[in-house]
Amino acid sequence: MARDSTEKRILKHPLASRIFHWCLIMGFLPAAISGFILWLKVGGDGIRHVALEIHMMGATVFTVSVIGYMILRFTRVLAYVHRIFSWNKNDLGWFKVLGGYPQKILFGKNVEVPPMGKINSGQKILSIVLFFGGPILIITGWILYAYIPVLPKIFIFWVDVVHLILGVLCGLFIIGHIFLGVYNWSDFKVMFGDGVIDFAEANEHTPVWVKNEVEPVNHQPLSNLKVVEK
Amino acid sequence: MAHYDYEEKKLSVSRREFLGLLGVGAAVIWMGAYVTTDLVKNRKKYIRMRAQGLYKDDGQSVIRQSHNNKALMDMYAQFAGKPLSTVPQELFHTKYVDRINLGGVI
Repeated sequence: MARDSTEKRILKHPLASRIFHWCLIMGFLPAAISGFILWLKVGGDGIRHVALEIHMMGATVFTVSVIGYMILRFTRVLAYVHRIFSWNKNDLGWFKVLGGYPQKILFGKNVEVPPMGKINSGQKILSIVLFFGGPILIITGWILYAYIPVLPKIFIFWVDVVHLILGVLCGLFIIGHIFLGVYNWSDFKVMFGDGVIDFAEANEHTPVWVKNEVEPVNHQPLSNLKVVEK
Repeated sequence: MAHYDYEEKKLSVSRREFLGLLGVGAAVIWMGAYVTTDLVKNRKKYIRMRAQGLYKDDGQSVIRQSHNNKALMDMYAQFAGKPLSTVPQELFHTKYVDRINLGGVI
Protein backbone atom coordinates (compact mmCIF):
# COMPACT_ATOMS: atom_id res chain seq x y z
CA MET A 1 0.00 0.00 0.00
CA ALA A 2 1.34 3.39 -0.89
CA ARG A 3 0.00 6.87 -0.40
CA ASP A 4 -0.36 8.95 -3.46
CA SER A 5 -0.23 12.72 -3.70
CA THR A 6 1.48 14.85 -6.27
CA GLU A 7 1.02 18.18 -4.55
CA LYS A 8 2.32 17.35 -1.11
CA ARG A 9 5.90 17.79 0.05
CA ILE A 10 7.99 16.11 2.74
CA LEU A 11 10.76 17.55 4.83
CA LYS A 12 13.38 14.90 4.12
CA HIS A 13 16.44 16.58 5.60
CA PRO A 14 15.89 19.02 8.51
CA LEU A 15 18.07 22.12 8.86
CA ALA A 16 20.50 20.50 11.32
CA SER A 17 21.17 17.59 8.94
CA ARG A 18 21.70 19.96 6.03
CA ILE A 19 24.10 22.14 8.02
CA PHE A 20 25.93 18.98 9.12
CA HIS A 21 26.30 17.91 5.48
CA TRP A 22 27.61 21.37 4.55
CA CYS A 23 30.11 21.07 7.40
CA LEU A 24 31.21 17.70 6.03
CA ILE A 25 31.75 19.35 2.65
CA MET A 26 33.86 22.06 4.31
CA GLY A 27 35.60 19.77 6.78
CA PHE A 28 35.86 16.17 5.68
CA LEU A 29 36.33 16.85 1.97
CA PRO A 30 39.36 19.20 2.29
CA ALA A 31 40.82 16.86 4.92
CA ALA A 32 40.36 13.86 2.61
CA ILE A 33 41.84 15.57 -0.47
CA SER A 34 44.82 16.96 1.47
CA GLY A 35 45.23 13.56 3.14
CA PHE A 36 45.57 11.89 -0.27
CA ILE A 37 48.13 14.58 -1.26
CA LEU A 38 50.17 13.83 1.88
CA TRP A 39 49.88 10.06 1.43
CA LEU A 40 50.77 10.03 -2.28
CA LYS A 41 53.47 12.72 -1.77
CA VAL A 42 52.04 14.91 -4.53
CA GLY A 43 54.10 18.01 -5.32
CA GLY A 44 57.02 19.48 -3.44
CA ASP A 45 57.55 20.44 0.18
CA GLY A 46 55.58 23.68 -0.20
CA ILE A 47 52.48 21.97 -1.55
CA ARG A 48 52.65 19.29 1.15
CA HIS A 49 53.08 21.91 3.84
CA VAL A 50 49.92 23.70 2.67
CA ALA A 51 48.16 20.32 2.39
CA LEU A 52 49.07 19.55 6.00
CA GLU A 53 47.68 22.91 7.14
CA ILE A 54 44.45 22.31 5.20
CA HIS A 55 44.30 18.76 6.58
CA MET A 56 44.37 20.05 10.14
CA MET A 57 41.88 22.86 9.53
CA GLY A 58 39.48 20.51 7.73
CA ALA A 59 39.88 17.97 10.54
CA THR A 60 38.96 20.64 13.09
CA VAL A 61 35.76 21.55 11.24
CA PHE A 62 34.98 17.83 10.84
CA THR A 63 35.54 17.10 14.54
CA VAL A 64 33.48 20.03 15.79
CA SER A 65 30.61 19.28 13.41
CA VAL A 66 30.49 15.56 14.31
CA ILE A 67 30.55 16.23 18.07
CA GLY A 68 28.06 19.09 17.72
CA TYR A 69 25.62 17.04 15.65
CA MET A 70 25.87 14.07 18.00
CA ILE A 71 25.08 16.24 21.03
CA LEU A 72 22.47 18.55 19.52
CA ARG A 73 20.68 15.96 17.39
CA PHE A 74 21.19 12.84 19.43
CA THR A 75 17.83 11.26 18.52
CA ARG A 76 18.51 11.72 14.81
CA VAL A 77 21.84 9.95 15.27
CA LEU A 78 19.99 7.10 16.99
CA ALA A 79 17.46 6.91 14.15
CA TYR A 80 20.35 6.90 11.69
CA VAL A 81 22.13 4.10 13.56
CA HIS A 82 18.91 2.07 13.67
CA ARG A 83 18.45 2.63 9.95
CA ILE A 84 21.95 1.58 8.87
CA PHE A 85 21.88 -1.61 10.94
CA SER A 86 18.42 -2.68 9.77
CA TRP A 87 18.80 -5.22 6.98
CA ASN A 88 16.31 -7.48 5.22
CA LYS A 89 15.91 -9.44 2.00
CA ASN A 90 15.34 -6.26 0.02
CA ASP A 91 18.96 -5.32 0.69
CA LEU A 92 20.10 -8.59 -0.85
CA GLY A 93 17.92 -7.83 -3.86
CA TRP A 94 19.40 -4.34 -4.08
CA PHE A 95 22.94 -5.73 -4.14
CA LYS A 96 22.00 -8.30 -6.81
CA VAL A 97 21.26 -5.43 -9.22
CA LEU A 98 23.57 -2.92 -7.47
CA GLY A 99 20.67 -0.55 -7.12
CA GLY A 100 20.23 -0.60 -10.91
CA TYR A 101 22.96 2.03 -11.25
CA PRO A 102 25.42 0.19 -13.55
CA GLN A 103 22.58 -0.78 -15.91
CA LYS A 104 21.26 2.80 -15.92
CA ILE A 105 24.63 4.55 -16.21
CA LEU A 106 26.33 2.20 -18.67
CA PHE A 107 23.44 0.92 -20.79
CA GLY A 108 20.64 3.40 -20.13
CA LYS A 109 18.45 0.50 -19.02
CA ASN A 110 16.05 0.59 -16.08
CA VAL A 111 15.84 -2.55 -13.97
CA GLU A 112 13.49 -3.27 -11.10
CA VAL A 113 14.98 -2.39 -7.72
CA PRO A 114 13.48 -3.61 -4.43
CA PRO A 115 11.70 -0.88 -2.42
CA MET A 116 14.07 1.01 -0.15
CA GLY A 117 13.85 3.09 3.00
CA LYS A 118 15.32 6.54 3.46
CA ILE A 119 18.76 5.26 2.59
CA ASN A 120 19.44 2.40 0.18
CA SER A 121 21.63 -0.64 0.82
CA GLY A 122 24.73 0.92 -0.75
CA GLN A 123 24.31 3.98 1.45
CA LYS A 124 23.98 1.66 4.45
CA ILE A 125 27.40 0.18 3.70
CA LEU A 126 28.86 3.67 3.25
CA SER A 127 27.22 4.80 6.48
CA ILE A 128 28.55 1.85 8.47
CA VAL A 129 32.08 2.54 7.17
CA LEU A 130 31.75 6.21 8.09
CA PHE A 131 30.01 5.51 11.41
CA PHE A 132 33.02 3.55 12.63
CA GLY A 133 35.68 5.11 10.41
CA GLY A 134 34.83 8.77 11.10
CA PRO A 135 35.26 8.76 14.90
CA ILE A 136 38.35 6.52 14.66
CA LEU A 137 39.84 8.89 12.07
CA ILE A 138 39.15 11.83 14.39
CA ILE A 139 40.71 10.15 17.43
CA THR A 140 43.77 8.81 15.60
CA GLY A 141 44.22 12.15 13.81
CA TRP A 142 44.30 14.12 17.05
CA ILE A 143 46.68 11.59 18.60
CA LEU A 144 49.02 12.11 15.61
CA TYR A 145 48.63 15.88 15.96
CA ALA A 146 49.23 16.21 19.70
CA TYR A 147 50.61 13.07 21.31
CA ILE A 148 53.55 11.88 19.21
CA PRO A 149 56.15 13.07 21.77
CA VAL A 150 54.49 11.46 24.78
CA LEU A 151 53.26 8.10 23.46
CA PRO A 152 55.37 5.03 22.61
CA LYS A 153 56.64 4.95 19.04
CA ILE A 154 55.15 1.54 18.27
CA PHE A 155 51.72 2.78 19.39
CA ILE A 156 52.05 5.90 17.23
CA PHE A 157 53.13 3.69 14.31
CA TRP A 158 49.91 1.65 14.53
CA VAL A 159 47.81 4.78 15.05
CA ASP A 160 49.31 6.13 11.83
CA VAL A 161 48.61 2.85 9.97
CA VAL A 162 44.98 2.76 11.16
CA HIS A 163 44.53 6.47 10.28
CA LEU A 164 45.91 5.88 6.79
CA ILE A 165 43.87 2.74 6.03
CA LEU A 166 40.60 4.20 7.31
CA GLY A 167 41.32 7.53 5.61
CA VAL A 168 41.83 5.85 2.23
CA LEU A 169 38.78 3.61 2.74
CA CYS A 170 36.48 6.47 3.77
CA GLY A 171 37.93 8.69 1.03
CA LEU A 172 37.19 6.09 -1.67
CA PHE A 173 33.66 5.55 -0.37
CA ILE A 174 33.09 9.31 -0.35
CA ILE A 175 34.23 9.59 -3.98
CA GLY A 176 31.56 7.03 -4.91
CA HIS A 177 29.02 8.80 -2.69
CA ILE A 178 29.67 12.18 -4.33
CA PHE A 179 29.49 10.66 -7.82
CA LEU A 180 26.12 9.02 -7.15
CA GLY A 181 24.95 12.11 -5.23
CA VAL A 182 25.57 14.31 -8.26
CA TYR A 183 24.06 11.62 -10.52
CA ASN A 184 20.86 11.78 -8.42
CA TRP A 185 20.78 15.53 -8.86
CA SER A 186 17.27 16.13 -7.50
CA ASP A 187 18.12 14.37 -4.23
CA PHE A 188 21.42 16.27 -4.12
CA LYS A 189 19.50 19.55 -4.34
CA VAL A 190 17.23 18.45 -1.50
CA MET A 191 20.20 17.82 0.81
CA PHE A 192 22.04 21.01 -0.07
CA GLY A 193 18.94 23.12 -0.63
CA ASP A 194 15.76 23.47 1.39
CA GLY A 195 15.56 19.82 2.45
CA VAL A 196 12.08 19.35 1.01
CA ILE A 197 11.13 16.68 -1.52
CA ASP A 198 7.96 16.06 -3.52
CA PHE A 199 5.80 13.39 -1.97
CA ALA A 200 5.43 11.54 -5.27
CA GLU A 201 9.17 11.49 -5.90
CA ALA A 202 9.91 10.30 -2.37
CA ASN A 203 7.26 7.63 -2.71
CA GLU A 204 8.84 6.42 -5.92
CA HIS A 205 12.43 6.24 -4.67
CA THR A 206 11.97 5.59 -0.95
CA PRO A 207 8.53 3.97 -0.55
CA VAL A 208 9.40 2.11 2.67
CA TRP A 209 10.46 5.36 4.32
CA VAL A 210 7.31 7.19 3.22
CA LYS A 211 5.12 4.32 4.36
CA ASN A 212 6.69 3.70 7.78
CA GLU A 213 8.50 6.82 8.89
CA VAL A 214 6.64 9.82 7.52
CA GLU A 215 3.67 11.55 9.12
CA PRO A 216 1.73 14.73 8.46
CA VAL A 217 3.00 17.87 10.14
CA ASN A 218 1.25 18.54 13.49
CA HIS A 219 -0.18 15.00 13.30
CA GLN A 220 -3.05 15.96 11.07
CA PRO A 221 -5.41 13.10 10.22
CA LEU A 222 -4.49 11.08 7.17
CA SER A 223 -8.06 11.24 5.87
CA ASN A 224 -7.17 13.93 3.34
CA LEU A 225 -4.84 11.50 1.59
CA LYS A 226 -5.81 9.35 -1.30
CA VAL A 227 -4.77 5.81 -0.55
CA VAL A 228 -4.02 3.48 -3.43
CA GLU A 229 -3.10 -0.18 -3.57
CA LYS A 230 0.16 -0.90 -5.34
CA MET B 1 11.52 28.73 4.74
CA ALA B 2 10.23 26.00 2.53
CA HIS B 3 6.70 24.78 3.00
CA TYR B 4 6.10 21.11 3.65
CA ASP B 5 3.15 18.97 4.62
CA TYR B 6 4.93 15.91 6.02
CA GLU B 7 7.94 15.23 8.15
CA GLU B 8 9.73 12.27 9.66
CA LYS B 9 8.24 10.72 12.78
CA LYS B 10 10.00 11.83 15.93
CA LEU B 11 12.08 9.19 17.64
CA SER B 12 11.55 9.07 21.38
CA VAL B 13 14.15 7.60 23.70
CA SER B 14 12.99 6.09 26.99
CA ARG B 15 14.87 6.76 30.22
CA ARG B 16 16.09 3.16 30.27
CA GLU B 17 17.46 3.42 26.68
CA PHE B 18 19.06 6.77 27.43
CA LEU B 19 20.80 5.43 30.55
CA GLY B 20 21.93 2.33 28.64
CA LEU B 21 23.44 4.42 25.86
CA LEU B 22 25.00 6.77 28.39
CA GLY B 23 26.56 3.78 30.15
CA VAL B 24 28.00 2.35 26.93
CA GLY B 25 29.37 5.78 25.96
CA ALA B 26 30.90 6.32 29.39
CA ALA B 27 32.47 2.84 29.33
CA VAL B 28 34.04 3.47 25.90
CA ILE B 29 35.39 6.88 26.95
CA TRP B 30 36.65 5.51 30.28
CA MET B 31 38.46 2.59 28.60
CA GLY B 32 40.06 4.93 26.04
CA ALA B 33 41.16 7.33 28.77
CA TYR B 34 42.50 4.43 30.87
CA VAL B 35 44.54 3.00 27.97
CA THR B 36 45.91 6.45 27.01
CA THR B 37 46.87 7.43 30.56
CA ASP B 38 48.43 4.00 31.07
CA LEU B 39 50.55 4.45 27.92
CA VAL B 40 51.62 7.96 28.94
CA LYS B 41 52.37 6.80 32.51
CA ASN B 42 54.54 3.93 31.23
CA ARG B 43 56.31 6.24 28.82
CA LYS B 44 57.07 8.67 31.66
CA LYS B 45 58.22 5.78 33.83
CA TYR B 46 60.80 4.70 31.23
CA ILE B 47 62.01 8.28 30.76
CA ARG B 48 62.36 8.68 34.54
CA MET B 49 64.25 5.36 34.84
CA ARG B 50 66.57 6.34 31.99
CA ALA B 51 67.22 9.74 33.59
CA GLN B 52 67.88 8.08 36.96
CA GLY B 53 70.39 5.75 35.27
CA LEU B 54 72.21 8.69 33.69
CA TYR B 55 72.32 10.58 36.99
CA LYS B 56 73.62 7.42 38.69
CA ASP B 57 76.39 7.10 36.07
CA ASP B 58 77.25 10.77 36.59
CA GLY B 59 77.25 10.33 40.35
CA GLN B 60 79.65 7.41 40.12
CA SER B 61 82.01 9.19 37.70
CA VAL B 62 85.16 10.76 39.10
CA ILE B 63 85.40 13.29 36.30
CA ARG B 64 82.06 14.83 35.39
CA GLN B 65 83.00 17.36 32.70
CA SER B 66 83.20 16.43 29.02
CA HIS B 67 86.14 18.78 28.42
CA ASN B 68 88.07 16.86 31.11
CA ASN B 69 86.97 13.45 29.85
CA LYS B 70 90.19 11.45 29.35
CA ALA B 71 88.71 9.19 26.68
CA LEU B 72 87.61 12.23 24.70
CA MET B 73 90.96 13.94 25.06
CA ASP B 74 92.72 10.73 23.94
CA MET B 75 90.42 10.54 20.92
CA TYR B 76 91.35 14.09 19.88
CA ALA B 77 95.04 13.55 20.63
CA GLN B 78 95.38 10.29 18.76
CA PHE B 79 92.83 10.61 15.97
CA ALA B 80 90.62 13.63 15.47
CA GLY B 81 93.06 16.52 15.87
CA LYS B 82 91.24 19.31 17.68
CA PRO B 83 87.58 20.27 18.17
CA LEU B 84 85.90 21.87 15.08
CA SER B 85 88.67 20.62 12.77
CA THR B 86 87.81 18.71 9.58
CA VAL B 87 87.63 15.15 10.94
CA PRO B 88 85.32 15.79 13.95
CA GLN B 89 83.26 18.13 11.76
CA GLU B 90 82.68 15.31 9.26
CA LEU B 91 82.05 12.67 11.91
CA PHE B 92 80.02 14.48 14.55
CA HIS B 93 78.22 17.31 12.85
CA THR B 94 74.54 16.61 12.19
CA LYS B 95 72.69 17.73 9.11
CA TYR B 96 69.26 19.34 8.84
CA VAL B 97 66.56 16.84 7.97
CA ASP B 98 63.30 18.12 6.51
CA ARG B 99 60.60 16.35 8.50
CA ILE B 100 57.70 18.04 6.78
CA ASN B 101 56.80 14.65 5.38
CA LEU B 102 54.63 12.90 7.97
CA GLY B 103 56.41 9.59 7.33
CA GLY B 104 59.61 11.13 8.62
CA VAL B 105 58.10 11.85 12.01
CA ILE B 106 57.84 8.24 13.04
